[in-house]
This record gives sequence, structure tokens and C-alpha cells, in this order.
Amino acid sequence: MNWNSWLPLLVILSSLLPGLIIFGLAEKRVRLRIMLNLLGAVAKIGLVGWMLWGVYNGIHYEMRLALLPGLELVLRAGPLSLFFVTLSALLWLVTTAYAIGYLEESPNRSRFFGFFSLCVTATVGVALSGNLITFLLFYELLTLATYPLVVHRGTEAARHAGRTYLTYTVFGGALLLLGTVWLYTLTGTLEFAPQGGFLDGLGDEHRPALVIIFALLIAGFGVKAALVPFHGWLPQAMVAPAPVSALLHAVAVVKAGAFGIVRVVYDVFGVEFAAGLGVLGPLAWLAAVTIIYGSLRALFQDDLKRRLAFSTVSQVSYIALGVAIAGPIATIGGVVHLVHQGLMKITLFFCAGNLAETLGIHKVSEMNGVGRRMPWTMAAFTIGAFGMIGAPPVAGFVTKWYLGLGALEAGQAWVVLVLAGSSLLNAAYFLPILHRAWFREPSGVWPEERDFGRKETAWMLLLPPLLTAAMALAAGLLVMLPFSPLEWAKLISAREFYQP
Amino acid sequence: MNTETYAVLLLMVVAWPLLLAIPALHFRLPWPRYLAIIPAALLTMLPGEVSLELPWLLFGTGFAMEGESRWILAMSVAIWFAAAAIMRPSKYDFVDQRTTTFFLLTMAGSLGAVLTSDLVGFFCFATLMGYGFYGLLIQNVDEAARRAGRFYLIFLIVADLLLFEALLLAAFVTDDLRFAVVHEAMAGASSAQFYLWMVFISFALKAGVWPAHLWLTVAFSSAGRSTALLLGGVPVAMALLGAVRWLPIGEQDFGVSALIVQGLGVVAVLYAVLKIFTRASGESLPAWAAVAATGLFVVALGGGLAHPALWQQYEFFAYPFIALLAILLATLAYLVGGTSDTKLPVVVPQRTDVVTQWTVRCIATIQQWIKERLSGIQSHLHTSWLKSTSRCQQIVGRQKPRALRNEWGVRITFFVLLGLAMAWLAE
Repeated sequence: MNWNSWLPLLVILSSLLPGLIIFGLAEKRVRLRIMLNLLGAVAKIGLVGWMLWGVYNGIHYEMRLALLPGLELVLRAGPLSLFFVTLSALLWLVTTAYAIGYLEESPNRSRFFGFFSLCVTATVGVALSGNLITFLLFYELLTLATYPLVVHRGTEAARHAGRTYLTYTVFGGALLLLGTVWLYTLTGTLEFAPQGGFLDGLGDEHRPALVIIFALLIAGFGVKAALVPFHGWLPQAMVAPAPVSALLHAVAVVKAGAFGIVRVVYDVFGVEFAAGLGVLGPLAWLAAVTIIYGSLRALFQDDLKRRLAFSTVSQVSYIALGVAIAGPIATIGGVVHLVHQGLMKITLFFCAGNLAETLGIHKVSEMNGVGRRMPWTMAAFTIGAFGMIGAPPVAGFVTKWYLGLGALEAGQAWVVLVLAGSSLLNAAYFLPILHRAWFREPSGVWPEERDFGRKETAWMLLLPPLLTAAMALAAGLLVMLPFSPLEWAKLISAREFYQP
Repeated sequence: MNTETYAVLLLMVVAWPLLLAIPALHFRLPWPRYLAIIPAALLTMLPGEVSLELPWLLFGTGFAMEGESRWILAMSVAIWFAAAAIMRPSKYDFVDQRTTTFFLLTMAGSLGAVLTSDLVGFFCFATLMGYGFYGLLIQNVDEAARRAGRFYLIFLIVADLLLFEALLLAAFVTDDLRFAVVHEAMAGASSAQFYLWMVFISFALKAGVWPAHLWLTVAFSSAGRSTALLLGGVPVAMALLGAVRWLPIGEQDFGVSALIVQGLGVVAVLYAVLKIFTRASGESLPAWAAVAATGLFVVALGGGLAHPALWQQYEFFAYPFIALLAILLATLAYLVGGTSDTKLPVVVPQRTDVVTQWTVRCIATIQQWIKERLSGIQSHLHTSWLKSTSRCQQIVGRQKPRALRNEWGVRITFFVLLGLAMAWLAE
């Protein structure tokens, strides 16, 4: 085993080890905890950067550990996995910095940051999995590591949300396990096979079984990806602290579900095989329904985080839609949205957290004139919101461009109408927020204002959303630069569709 | 001046106002609104043509300063300068800082739209301009401004969505999205008619072409004087420019579609003229003038779509026409339209007051004369359509003001007439 084989494991350990040490730290060891957190995050980014360069130049990173007879724990770094790992690693650093500021002087921080690190460890594990069983293990670890974060506040609402979350995700996990075992009995392997999946050899007699397995796997991943009708847990989980919401919506949980769908279609079934089975059409329709449904529900939410949550329900399905359209251009749109949605949504959640922490604002109806009081926060929010609408030059525009173009290329023009409807609804639920914030007169006293002197809020709370907003803007403006999310997504699409 | 410096100046036309739009920056600088126009003014005065390709920006965009753009750029500089002179916000108030930010964002968007050489660039800058202008439109925080803003925003969103769909169609047909290439590619494409209508409706919504003029009339009557001055030069003129650049005019005969476009233009002109001489108050006069002028432009567009050779011969005149139209509308808006800006009411010089009074008096005299002549025709029009409309409204219990009923009645009448005309033409 050479050095390159150890790199995927080291990436996982870079957050696992700090997490385990943090669990054992006393509450008052603030500096050490911060140092461990940031050190782990920076180390992970360094390792990921190294692997990115290597994969771009054709180096193969793979590690295999025997798990059970015939089953191995496989960690492998390819273009798709590194795409997700890079997103998680970058946003983990930003979210950790934000969480340090957000949870200042609050209780149980060691427990929080311990599970926070575990959560990212599981996400990176999901991304680097080389087979379905490894994927499943990390996927379940993610469920378990996220639950304590959802119930972190310990209120009745938090416990209720935690129970709902656990019920949904355990159910999803069970479906996934069933599908995986069934698939293993048919194929004898669970090894992801880029460029066409590993089901090619199966005969027509297995066709009905494969359709059911596909449905089981999509339903299993659909729970975390919040596909309708499995989305119920996500709006309830909004009682969690803002960094956890950011983690759920942008970095880890929802993304792991969407990433799972991408894996199933590309590396388990293969696009052509899945299209031949006739399962991609229903998946596209399910995604389209989720896109419109999520937007419609968001329209009627006064609670800011709930509105953002329903927006996530809608936006994450763009990824599933891009995959289900089954063409190289739509694939680019779907895959690149993994990163774009993450950048935009994390910005919005950071801003929502800032409003709650600084002024006690939780509802849209309380946001009148907040742009005067917190101009930088609301500027970041504005960029994120316009990105979600799909207005140029923010990252969301690039996503919609490729999805629309991909749909036309695949002869599925109805998708363009779905995108237009979604944009219209996004505008309908985001623009009133911006109008209130920038153009309405403040109503007087804010619900719970905290004094930060001449600053609008603490630096540790303000810098992360500004940084992620700038990244969302750069991802749209500088879209043709090498190593931009789009260029990487093109690499993934080319590998899936054009390589022998 | 060497080409590199020229190219940098080209980039600065857009980048400089964008940079100055950051409140922390324009708060510390004197006369930021004037400073922002300087690169554009310099570029207008420099002779020669220059283009700049930026493959790393967006999907690979570019800017170009050519003979055609120079007209529009010169007009834009003049109008932005005038608006900056009228708008004098204090830099210590949030509302005024916000207004300056939106002013500069809108300026960057409109100047970028003038200079960009491809569809994606135009779409981006037009979007920036559109949303920036919303901020200017509702700077007078009252119900009328809010209503105008609401209308404008709805039209803008729908127009942008249509334009985005058209952009996708164009990108599906050709990889190169420069205006000239798209013109040629779309003319031969199977989706040419669909593309034509998407683009036409989108820019008609943006320019307030009849019957999508609702936002324009409301906006003119509620906007502050400086914003009213910008209305003709920014959203209207840029939409007309967009139509010329996006539509594949002069490439093929679009048959019935071209006739419908021409018909719409004719009806728009007639309708607006009728409104001007029968109903328009001083404040809404620029709006109706804009509707008439855009109608005229639509007639020309329709002509170009029907007779490609004719358009190729006279295409160049479209640009000075847009520039002249914007300047005239701005002048009209300054003289007779628009409420004063909220914070610092503009003190209109005595000489202008006389001109204003003279203009209004002249128009009132002509209005009265036309009103008397048209009263017979109007009452005839009202007899059938308006009576039935009123009856329906009474049945459902909707007590709308009489003026609104009449307005709708006339509108419906024109639609029917237009439909009949089209049916006849199709025969």
C-alpha cells in the first residue's frame, strides 16, 4: 500500500480525530477546542487540494480494507467524489468558524463540536465511498451523528424535530439496506462502476426486480434529499441552531441524499441502463413535482428558516432532475448544483442566524427595514436570494442554464417550463423579503437586540456569509476559469458520457 | 491612445460604477454619481472602434465600442449626467445612500448592456439594470410608488423569464452567442418563430409597448423627477436596443408574425395618440408619448421582419432613433412629468416653469380640440362594448371606477379590431 492509498483515509481522519479529542475536552478548554477544530478543517482542505491536483492529472487514490468475506470497505477519490469532498471541506471550515461565533458562551459546546466533526467525517466518507456498502455505513453514521445536533437545544420542539428526523432517516436507511442486499444477491458485487454502472450483465428476467430496487434506493436516498413525499423532517429540523441548519442544508445531510441519487444513477445502474429500464422518467417527474411543491410551500411561510427549508426541498431536486434528464449537459447542471446550492443556501442560513442572534428576528414579517441595521448581512442575503432565483451572474443562473439547455438537448422541453415556474415562485418568495429589508421603514424596536457597538454583529458571524456570498457570485461570474465548479462538473459529465 | 488603454477604459465603463455602488466607497467620495459616468463620457469622445474579449467572464463575454453603440452610449451619458444633476441626495441618510447605490447599479447595468457584444452579457446587464431601477422607482416610499414598483417588478420578472427561455433556444441552436452570429443562426432555425415571439414579448414588456404599457404609465406618474427622466433613457431605450440586437431582423421574411408585430405597433401609436389628446394629464403625458414612440419603433421592427432587404438598408437609423427618443422622453419627463424627489425637492428654474406652463397649455388646447372632435367616435365605441362590460360588472357586484371601466373598454375594443385586422390579413 503506497502513500496515495492512504490519502482518502487521512482525509477522513482529519476530522474524525479532532472530533474524538473534542468529545473528551472540558467545556472551559475553549482555545484548544477552537484550535483543534480549525486545524482539522485546514488540514482537510490541504489534503483535498492535494488529491484534486492528483485526480486532475490522472493519479488514482484508492484504499481497500476487508470488512466481511466478499465485502470490502473501499475509499476511492474520483472526480465526482472529490467534487463533493471539496464542497464539504470548504464549507466545513466556514461553518466551523461561524459556529464558534454563534455558540460563544452557550453550554455543551464540546458535545456540539464533537458531533459536528463526526458529521463531516461521515459526509466525506459518503463522498469517498467506492462501493455501496461503504456508502451505506457512512450514510447511517451521518444519521446518527446529526441527530444530537438537531436536538442540541434540548427544548421540546427540538426533541420532537429530532424524533421526526430519526424516524424518517431510519426508515430511509431501512429501504436503502433492503435495496442494497437485494442488489447484492443479484449481482454479487456492490462496487461502484463509473461509466455505465455494474448491472449490464443482468438479463431481462431481472428487470422487474431492478425497477423495484431502483425505487427502494431512490426512496432511501430521497428521504435525506427531501424528495416529496419524504421531505417532512426537513422543515421541522429548523429548530436546530443556525450552523446545524447550514450543515443540514448545504454541507452534509441533504447533499448526501442527492449525492446518493447521483451515485445510484451513474455508478450503480448507469445512465443508459437506467434509461432502458424506464426509471429515469418517473424520477424526473418526481423531481419536478418536488421543485414546484417546495416553492409553493415556501411561499406561505412566515418563519424565515422554514421558508428557507422549503426552498431547499425545491432546490435540491434540481440535482435529481439534472441526473434524470440523462444527457451530458443536464448532468453538468445537476452535478454543479451540488456546489452552487450549497454556497447559496449556506449564505442564506448564516444570514438568518445573524438576524436571529443579533436582533432576535425569526419571521419574515419582522424584517422591515433590517437592511439599515444590518446592511452587510442583508447584502449577502440578497446575493444568495438572487442566486436562488437564478438571476445572473450568481451561481444559480449557471445551474438553470445547463439544466435548461440539457433538457432541450434531451428533447424534454417541459423541464424548461418547470425551471421557469420555479424561478417565478422563487422570485415570489424571496423578493418580498428583500423588499421588506431594504425598502420598508423599521417598525421601531427589534425583538431581541444585542449590542455589538459600532459593528452590525460579531465578526465571526459576519465574515462567513460574506465569504460564501462572494464565492456564490464568483462561481457564476468566473464560471469558465479552470477548477471552477462548472469546469469540474464538465469533467465528471465527460467521464460519464464520453469515455469508453 | 493605444488599444490596451482603450480596452481598459471600455471595461471601466461598467466596473467603475459597480465599484462605486458599494456604500462604504461612495460614502467617502465626493460626487460619486458624476465620477461614475466619467469613463463612459471619455469613451464616447474617443474616436475609433475597439473590442474586448473576456473568455473567463460568464460564458465568455465581450465588450465592443462601435459606431452603433456610440449613439446609445452618448445618449446614456447625457441622461445619466442629467439625472445625477437633478438627484442631490445627502450622503448622511440611509435612504439617500441606498438611492445612490441603486442609481450606480442601474447605471452599470445600462452602460454594460450598451457595450456588451453577446446575448448572455446583455441579459446579465439588463437584469442588473432592471432590478436596480426598481430601487430607484420606489425611492419615494409611498403607496403610489409601491404600486408602480409592484407592476414594474412583475413585468420585469416575466420578461426576464421569457428572455432566459429565448436565450436557451439560441444557445441550443448556436454555441457562439454574439449578436451577429445569433441573428444568422436563428433565422434558419426551426424554432425561429418561437424565438421571435419570446424575444419580442419580453422586450415589449420591458419597454412598455402597448398593451404591456401599464407599468410605464403608473411609473411615470409616481416616480420622482430624476427617475422619470431615466425612465425613457434606461428601461425603455435599453429594451428597444435589446429588441434590435436580439431579434433576427433583416435575415428572413417572418410572414404573418411580422404583420402582427406591425399591427401591434400601429394600434399602439393610435391608442397612445388617442390617450394623449383625450385623457393624458401633465404627469402621464411622457408615458403616453413613450407608448406612441415605442409603437412607432415596433412598426419599424415589424417592417424589418417583413422586408429583410429594407432593414439591412436602413438598420443604422434604429440607433440614432433610440437615442433621440430617449433624449426627447427625458426632456418631456423633466418638463411636465414626475413628482419632485422626496428628500430634496428640486427647485425648478423660473425659465423652465414658463416652458412647462406653455407646454401644458398648448397640449391642453390641443386636447380640448381633439376631445370635441372625437367625442362622437368615442360615444359610438362605448355603445356596445362598454354597456355590456358595465352590465357584467354590475351583475358580479364589482363597482369599479368609471374611468377604469372606460379604459378597459377601449382596450378590449382595440384588441377586437386588431384581431379582425389580423384575421383579414391572414385570409
